[in-house]
Amino acid sequence: MSIFVDKNTKVLCQGITGTQATFHIRRSLDYGTQVVGGVTPGKGGSLHLGLPVFNTVKEAKKETGANASVMYVPAPYVKSAVKEAVEAELDLVVCIADGVPIKDMLEINNMLSGTKTKLIGPNTPGIITPGEARLGIFPENIHTSGNVGIVSRSSTLTYEAVIETREAGQGQSTVLGLGDDMLIGVDFVETLKRFHEDDQTKVIVLLGRLGGTFEEVGAQYYKSLSHKKPVIGFVAGNAIPFGHKMGYAGDVITKGSISTQDKKDIMEDAGMIVVDNINDISTELAKLV
Amino acid sequence: MNIHEYQAKKIIQQYGIRIPKGGVAYTPNEAKRTAAKASRSGPWMLKAQIQSGARQKGYFLEKSAGPRGGIRVLKSRRDILRNAEQMLGSTLVTVQTGPQGKTVGRLYVEEYCKIERIFYAGIAIDRVHSALVLLVAAIKNEDITNIAFNTPEKILKINLDLEGDTKPEQVREVMDFLRLPPKSARSLETFINGMHRVFVDYDASMVEINPVGVMKNGELIALDAKISFDDNALFRHRDIEALKDDYEASERELQASKYKFNYSEFGGSVGCIVNGDGLALAVMDMLRAKGLDTACFLNVKGGVDKDKIASGIKIIMTNPRVEGILIDILGGFLRCNLIADGIIAAASEVGLNVPLVVRFEGTNKEEAKEILAKSKLPIILADSMEDAATKLAAAMEETD
Repeated sequence: MSIFVDKNTKVLCQGITGTQATFHIRRSLDYGTQVVGGVTPGKGGSLHLGLPVFNTVKEAKKETGANASVMYVPAPYVKSAVKEAVEAELDLVVCIADGVPIKDMLEINNMLSGTKTKLIGPNTPGIITPGEARLGIFPENIHTSGNVGIVSRSSTLTYEAVIETREAGQGQSTVLGLGDDMLIGVDFVETLKRFHEDDQTKVIVLLGRLGGTFEEVGAQYYKSLSHKKPVIGFVAGNAIPFGHKMGYAGDVITKGSISTQDKKDIMEDAGMIVVDNINDISTELAKLV
Repeated sequence: MNIHEYQAKKIIQQYGIRIPKGGVAYTPNEAKRTAAKASRSGPWMLKAQIQSGARQKGYFLEKSAGPRGGIRVLKSRRDILRNAEQMLGSTLVTVQTGPQGKTVGRLYVEEYCKIERIFYAGIAIDRVHSALVLLVAAIKNEDITNIAFNTPEKILKINLDLEGDTKPEQVREVMDFLRLPPKSARSLETFINGMHRVFVDYDASMVEINPVGVMKNGELIALDAKISFDDNALFRHRDIEALKDDYEASERELQASKYKFNYSEFGGSVGCIVNGDGLALAVMDMLRAKGLDTACFLNVKGGVDKDKIASGIKIIMTNPRVEGILIDILGGFLRCNLIADGIIAAASEVGLNVPLVVRFEGTNKEEAKEILAKSKLPIILADSMEDAATKLAAAMEETD
């Protein structure tokens, strides 16, 4: 098992004829991902990478039975692309683009609430279930199938955690990036819930970062669980002065943000194993398995 | 992106929010003339237009600018002339500018408003709930961030819808919380709706009116105004983008933004080049654990062009604060060999005079290492983030 995606996930690519999409969909196909088609308005009826291209998501779903989408569309078009995916009732949308306007994300999250569609991202490397499905831009060759579930708020730092599992001689069940932007879709709570429901996942690695309170909310959820899988946590951003422009000024005033150390304390209090040095994740993993 | 107070005031005024009479001035004589237009007899407010809060409590680096801060209440037009001469071209330091301060290139002159009391009003984003949030607090002279930290219960928070006006009951809630007199009701409604619409119409990331003044007749007036815009939505607001004041960014920041790289400066001595903001944070933490602090970092995420990458690396190599460089690249979409080529191109142009440690992982890392080895540059290779930080600390100690 795994979470969100596996070898049975039928994947559509929104914006499939773009350069980045072409590059990554080819790699995802080589990886064995069940990509069943693509959507590019105006190019319906053609073939791309040997896959049928459709004008709309609805049409593509009807013809291919797709239940997930990975989109490589540029930021200004993300809102309308997500809208299409929601209206077609896909289970999952993965949005790689960075730079989606805040107002668009507010509208997107409004649109998603109460529907079955889950959004991963934006500004995420995506999601990968090693050996089964790759939706995004992950360097697939560093992954192997195993029992460690990885969830991270930062894109590139996700790879660091994967390398840590490799150092510990472990593989991963599913790896996903929540996204580096101010507003995101799927959060730590949803991910922790799914990792706990997944038999394959025995240990969870959770990477947080300065800004927002997503880690705090995730830790509160974890604390409330009666059966806990071990979570190894790390929070980046200790060396950044609080209130620096790296963060969002509004965070400070809304108290929507707490210091890196506060986050670590809250995670530890919830029962997570928190490391100060990211390269200690492998040591902690080795101890657990 | 931020704009100046006088520009923000102009925008909120279009939404019915009252502002004091005034105007912008680039020369002392202009300040004097503007003052005469704003008020016949004074007093006046003379305000340094730099993009920073806490200007009143700030100080000027130059003795010639006098001991007073960046916001001055003045009683005569002669005072306006003299104080404008002092402030224009001088460097104002506030808690937000850093010790180097910002040069004052323009002033805002406005009538001094007699007010009964003041309060804070802001609209920001609540990230966890993915919503707009209106914030108000009664204040006297204290900093709103201090209130947020020490007594958050003194700030009223109300979630606003993206669409439509603020609801009447929400306006009433603010009235009650601030204990405003009934005669302020209509003015408050205009005020909150105005801020709300500015936020949505202009794709703001934050709107702050701090302080709002309550006049004797109950009417509200914006004594200051700050609007931050969402950089990612500027493509929808070319008129706002045109207000960008390049004077406000450092030269290196401007260079980096030209290549769409994220660049940040700190107080330390190590220059970092990474691909990813989270990775940058983690590398900075690791450096600190090894006794080193970061001078600056450059995020080359998304860089696919060797020349662009070389230009980015040069920004770090030519920063005089930098006494050592750490490059940590986890190649995915970004191929490590491009970075290696970029390092060599940059070093051959500006020279490599400080220790440089490189760690490559992911796409094309072996090829990248080979490129560096062939270059014969004194580059130290590392296997992990911790290894890189340790090796850099050792190399920097050696060169001391």
